[in-house]
Amino acid sequence: MSLVRNPFKTATLAVIWGWLIVLVLAPTLLVVLVSLMPENTGQLLGGELSLSTLWQGFLTNYGQMISPVYLSVFGHSLWIGLITTLICLLLGYPFAWMISRASPRLQPLLLLLVIIPFWTNSLIRIYALRTLIATRGLLNDVLMNLGLIDAPLRLLYTEEAVIVGLVYMLLPFMILPLYAVFEQLSRPTLEAARDLGANGLATFRHIVLPLTMPGIIAGVLLVFLPAMGMFYVSDLLGGSRHPLIGNIIKGQFLEANNWTFGAAISVMLTLVMAFLLLAYYRSVKLFKREVTL
Amino acid sequence: MKASAALRWFSRCYLTLIFTLLYVPILVLIGISFNDSRNPFVWGGFSLRWYDKLLGNGNLMEAALNTLWLGVTAATLATLIGTLTATALYRYRFRGKPLLNGMLFTVMMMPDIVMAIAFLALFIALGIQLGYFSLLVSHATFCLPFVVITVYSRLTGINPQLLEAARDLGASEARAVWHVLVPALMPAIASGWLLSFTLSLDDVVISTFVTGPTFEVLPLRIYSMVRLGLKPEVNALATLLLGLSLCLLLISQLLLKEKK
Amino acid sequence: MQGTRFPLRAAGLMAAVSLASVASSAPVLAADDSDKVLYVYNWTEYMPDEVIERFEEQTGIDVVYSTFDSNEAMYAKLKLLDSDNSYDLVFPSTYYIDKMAREGLLQKLDVSKLDHFEDLDPNLVDRDFDKGNQYSVPYMWGSAGIGYNPDYVEEGALTSWNDLWNDKYRDKLLLSNDMREVFHVALASLGFSGNTTDPDEIKAAYEKLTQLMPNVRAFNSDAARVPFMQGEVDAGLIWNGEVYQANQGGVPVEYVYPKEGIILWMDTMAIPSNARHVDAAYQFIDYLISPEVSKEISEYVGYTTPSLAAKNMMDPEVRDNPVVFPTQQDLARGEFQTDVGDALSIYQKYWEQLKTGH
Repeated sequence: MSLVRNPFKTATLAVIWGWLIVLVLAPTLLVVLVSLMPENTGQLLGGELSLSTLWQGFLTNYGQMISPVYLSVFGHSLWIGLITTLICLLLGYPFAWMISRASPRLQPLLLLLVIIPFWTNSLIRIYALRTLIATRGLLNDVLMNLGLIDAPLRLLYTEEAVIVGLVYMLLPFMILPLYAVFEQLSRPTLEAARDLGANGLATFRHIVLPLTMPGIIAGVLLVFLPAMGMFYVSDLLGGSRHPLIGNIIKGQFLEANNWTFGAAISVMLTLVMAFLLLAYYRSVKLFKREVTL
Repeated sequence: MKASAALRWFSRCYLTLIFTLLYVPILVLIGISFNDSRNPFVWGGFSLRWYDKLLGNGNLMEAALNTLWLGVTAATLATLIGTLTATALYRYRFRGKPLLNGMLFTVMMMPDIVMAIAFLALFIALGIQLGYFSLLVSHATFCLPFVVITVYSRLTGINPQLLEAARDLGASEARAVWHVLVPALMPAIASGWLLSFTLSLDDVVISTFVTGPTFEVLPLRIYSMVRLGLKPEVNALATLLLGLSLCLLLISQLLLKEKK
Repeated sequence: MQGTRFPLRAAGLMAAVSLASVASSAPVLAADDSDKVLYVYNWTEYMPDEVIERFEEQTGIDVVYSTFDSNEAMYAKLKLLDSDNSYDLVFPSTYYIDKMAREGLLQKLDVSKLDHFEDLDPNLVDRDFDKGNQYSVPYMWGSAGIGYNPDYVEEGALTSWNDLWNDKYRDKLLLSNDMREVFHVALASLGFSGNTTDPDEIKAAYEKLTQLMPNVRAFNSDAARVPFMQGEVDAGLIWNGEVYQANQGGVPVEYVYPKEGIILWMDTMAIPSNARHVDAAYQFIDYLISPEVSKEISEYVGYTTPSLAAKNMMDPEVRDNPVVFPTQQDLARGEFQTDVGDALSIYQKYWEQLKTGH
């Protein structure tokens, strides 16, 4: 289809490219530029811009990152992100499945019930969570009244509390894409499989899983990436004892006024994540090709 | 069929469990908003005083409405452009796809604060006055990847012959997309919209930097109220916001549900 | 699958909303070149609405009020704003005044234009961070000291910063998530200034802090009295206003001014160099430091007024409460935070190491 004979396609592409170039490419290039500047003042574009100063900046800012502090924070953030994503997947997958199997009239309602809690401000929700699991909070009160524990559990300010908070924040980001894909899985397909003699497990492995894989990937992306950056969850539920990479970046930008270094960390983070995701994507593609006949 | 009955029973239990876990903090929140005492750990009796105080605060109410309006419009804009992007990526062949994907990915990865400052610099450089417009455009941008990812994953499951059939029957591209593709994508589009709305309502960092004095939004106010004061009005505010969102939803449902 | 009507309607509705949103967002032409407008940029929850409204009634000036939640965010925004979007009055903390003035972000003040300037406590004006008050006027101030729960800690057990290092507070302490404040504690305990730029002193403070870490339950990012209320901590670093408010709410927290010296903080008012309505700004400043108004603000936010005249108007209970108004000797031992320039990155490096356990 040539562009002339397809005005819709032209218009669509124009809108998309226009939007992304102005609002994504330009700011991104700006960030990369800042990350290459040697000065660590709060100035965005001060000083001369010769190639040698940019190279200097590159060495200073990116070189600084190779240190045990940053590497450990990065590793820790990856770890937390991974666990959060896994838990969300384990909880969300069956959940999305069950919603998609409910009666069609009920489905939109159930979906809405999932997302409505998230229309209260997330900070307030974290706060409510805190009130629940605090030493003098509701959970401890109930447990003690029931005689299940003698002394209150110190649940707050632990890494576990951070993970619980993250899962709580990000669960719908896993459920919604999964639901969108499950909804496509028609009953006749599944019944056909059963008629052909496949039992539950085989149906799952060979039909359901591959067909829902795009949804899984979507959900993983939508949970894993934000999880690494939610610094306020780490602050409020973790007592800031286990900073995430998002905390570090915020610290560099706001507390240290070191915009150049903060920008460098962000760029690095993006590159590393892109690399990891590319590797993952390649491996999933192989998996898919193996499955489709 | 014992197996399927057991499965259904298990389903119901599981759903109920997860819903309970999701809602307990919310119910706690709503409960506290009616607590007469300032201390959330001590129940002082049922009272509406925080709602009273809240509704008397015209500033805060205006910010709440601003936030809701911003959320609705930003989500809609993001969904529109995101759906177009997803379909373009899936259906068309054109140069620069890796760049496009890369840009979407970058938006997702970039931390709030970095994006906020970059946007601010961009708007100043372009001479755009800070306010609703700058907010709208920024919010739509950071919601974009979420919509694209959700819609795209659904696209991969749609029978491509459906669209080919429509084209073969003489429909123009625009009509084919509108009448065939969009309905098929509806659950994903709706999901994308809901996700975007949620993201927009919550955003603190980007909004702080990119808004101007004429358009105050709620998240920063709430953020500070929670941080600085344990102000009980905050819980009333959250409950109200919830209520307002629900009303919005009901209205839209009524508008869309005729002749079903 | 639903019928075709639903998705069409939905899509149609979405399209309509998008168009409406873009149309309604046409940039408002700033027609505010009259002198009857004032753009204020203050901390959130830092000024009661009635105060603003009364000013508007009295002077006919329309106050457009925006908020921020950290000095750094305010600083970042001010640096990037051009004169079309500028604010007329901002509220930086002490350690930003020097920095912002040096970078040309603030204009010089003429305090003789302010009628109520003389009402201010002489101990609070003309201090190191802004000699002669060339750029700032005090707004609200307070201190950060040691707070403890008398139910779990005996009276007199905590009199100096060094006491916090005692083993009996293992996993029971609260520190704030503020890098400068936490380092100030360690520096003061070693007898150094909280504003030092000497790398050796900062390193010593860092090493001392690593020994404190086993005692630290959490670095708090929000209202410091909450962990006390929640029963999570028994003692720690806390602002006087938080203690006062906790006590008002019936929560037992005692406040101590440590021997080595207290940390003082102050939020001030300053006029940006690209402000458009300078006269209105002066009027507002004068209004805010007038006794009745300052007293009202202090009662609303729970922090201390810098105006002696306002202090005299307060209840004796409040006036004589050492938590709210420290004694002369305490004040003399106190230190305001000033800008440390490039040494900030040294602090930041150690802060990150401290938090990540290296």
